[in-house]
Amino acid sequence: MTSRTLWYAAVFPGLAAAALYRCARQAQRYTAFVSIEAPDALLLEIQGSLRLFGTLERLQACIDAGWEELGVMAHGASAPSTLAALWLARAGERARIEHPAALAGRLAGLPIGCTAWDADRLQTLRSFGVAHIGELLRLPRAGIARRLGPAALLDLDIALAKAPAPRRAFVPRERFRERCDFETEIDAAAALEQALAAPLERCARFLRERRAGVQALALTLRHRAAPPTRLRAGLASITGEHRRLRDVLAQRLLRLELAAPVRALELLSAPLQALPADSLGLFGGFGDQGAGEGAAQLVERLRARLGERAVYGVSSIAEHRPERAWRRVQELRLCRTAASAPASAPGTDDALLQRPVWLLAEPVPWSARASPAPPREGWVLEQGPERIESGWWDGEGVARDYYVARRAHGARLWVFQERRSRRWYLHGVFA
Amino acid sequence: MARETVSLADILADARVWKLTDASAAPPHPVWSTGRSALDARLPGGGWPTASLIEVLIADNGLGEVQLFLPALAACQRGAGGEAPWLIFIAPPHEPYAPALAQQGIDLGHFLVVRPASATEALWAAEQALSAGVCAAVFLWLQGSDDRWLRRLQLAAEAGGALGVLFRPERHRFEFSPAGLRLSMTRGERQARVELLKVRGGRPGFIDLDLGPS
Repeated sequence: MTSRTLWYAAVFPGLAAAALYRCARQAQRYTAFVSIEAPDALLLEIQGSLRLFGTLERLQACIDAGWEELGVMAHGASAPSTLAALWLARAGERARIEHPAALAGRLAGLPIGCTAWDADRLQTLRSFGVAHIGELLRLPRAGIARRLGPAALLDLDIALAKAPAPRRAFVPRERFRERCDFETEIDAAAALEQALAAPLERCARFLRERRAGVQALALTLRHRAAPPTRLRAGLASITGEHRRLRDVLAQRLLRLELAAPVRALELLSAPLQALPADSLGLFGGFGDQGAGEGAAQLVERLRARLGERAVYGVSSIAEHRPERAWRRVQELRLCRTAASAPASAPGTDDALLQRPVWLLAEPVPWSARASPAPPREGWVLEQGPERIESGWWDGEGVARDYYVARRAHGARLWVFQERRSRRWYLHGVFA
Repeated sequence: MARETVSLADILADARVWKLTDASAAPPHPVWSTGRSALDARLPGGGWPTASLIEVLIADNGLGEVQLFLPALAACQRGAGGEAPWLIFIAPPHEPYAPALAQQGIDLGHFLVVRPASATEALWAAEQALSAGVCAAVFLWLQGSDDRWLRRLQLAAEAGGALGVLFRPERHRFEFSPAGLRLSMTRGERQARVELLKVRGGRPGFIDLDLGPS
């Protein structure tokens, strides 16, 4: 693993799912990252929390006291890997291991049953005379992989902190909802922004406590006579940051023309979502602004004022018909973690002639007097033809010869001649 | 009779005196090679100045005006460690064609098109994008002119460290512009002619380039 992590696992034998959910909510008091390990356990990442509590002993005592408060029975254990913590907790050992080097020694004494592997696998192991993790670790790796499957080998590597084990963060299934009634009606958008300040702050706190974010907020304005005004403010990426929530709503209100005075407002969040890993900072609190945040904030500010559809990305599609070789992308991937997609270049086929920077929305007849025989006056066909013949199977087939056409002292154009009609069309501009 | 003696040091300290060495000194912001050595040689620092506004006057679309900047932008996106910087087109005259941009090495995962409803909104969007600090370059197509707004764009580009490129019709040639670099593009018999109208820290002149499909 690249960065050091420390995990605390709690196993609640026989606990119902609803109660486990309550325990997960409770666990969010101690750390930003909680994951539910079906059917009856929780994992907490506690490296960042360690600083707040001083020692692991004190932190673990606090968490354990929390379970008692809820009136549930739990076995807790800490270790520098997810599976080691889980296995120790399942074995009922109140271990507190801080260094990966100590893992192999401590795990050696655990019965193999604490791995929660399926009965077949455990039976196979017992038939070899393997009853404890220590004996398992002494077996040759190739043999383990062959007899138990590569997944078992990976589990062992994860337990010994030699392989990372991504976990999905627990997010409460809730929404933020608040309604404010005003004693005197509000008739200016600027005053609305002020009235929203307090609910928004509570919304941000609600999200912070749940270590979660949202991708949209809905605002309903109620009037005395007129039907309610409903606004939606979309965020470009999942966030719980107060500043961004406020910004995007403020921009949205800026565009609003109030039809009638407002008697009450209702703020409702979209369903909560897990925050992207990089915005959790050191698992301690929220990072102020990651690199991806800046782009996300820019996009949502632009969208809030110009409209959702006015801001979009484009992507290439492997398709021969030029007008279908691209599409607009509304769902932008703005998080650093997701943006690591390789620079895919489907258009870099060397056999293709160069494509124009501008594509016309639709091919237009190149000239009113469509004389079919180039070179027409003043025009030179510089390159071509590139024959594009495709799409006969879906009834929208094309059969065209593309050329790069240039006029002295003028623009360079992408034109084609339709092979059937022999007509010429303009399709792009080499800007 | 008081003799007015003024030392050279005094003169140089006077803010009204413009020193040639200042202009030719290395600019504080990075400069991007245009990918064409003949053009680099004509630009102070040897390439496009970042954190500033460049104005390109064009008589028509299709002279290679976007092509002029793409090699530098592709290199900038490729060379960035970590998160690649964004390239944003605001109010382009036609639809930017994704396969063409990919062909030129532009990272489409960090490319954005903005379609504002009015010129004022376009200027506002450009200001936001330039100053956000996440863009390599912001391209803006504009018909009208507004001195005050252009000055704001220049400031935003400086603040965000981005390259702002403003495309305007040729008829604005004789208007004042706060852009540090002004170009006018025309096409000759075969090649594109780039006329350097105003070059902060360099000399005006023209240069013929082979742009477009080769």
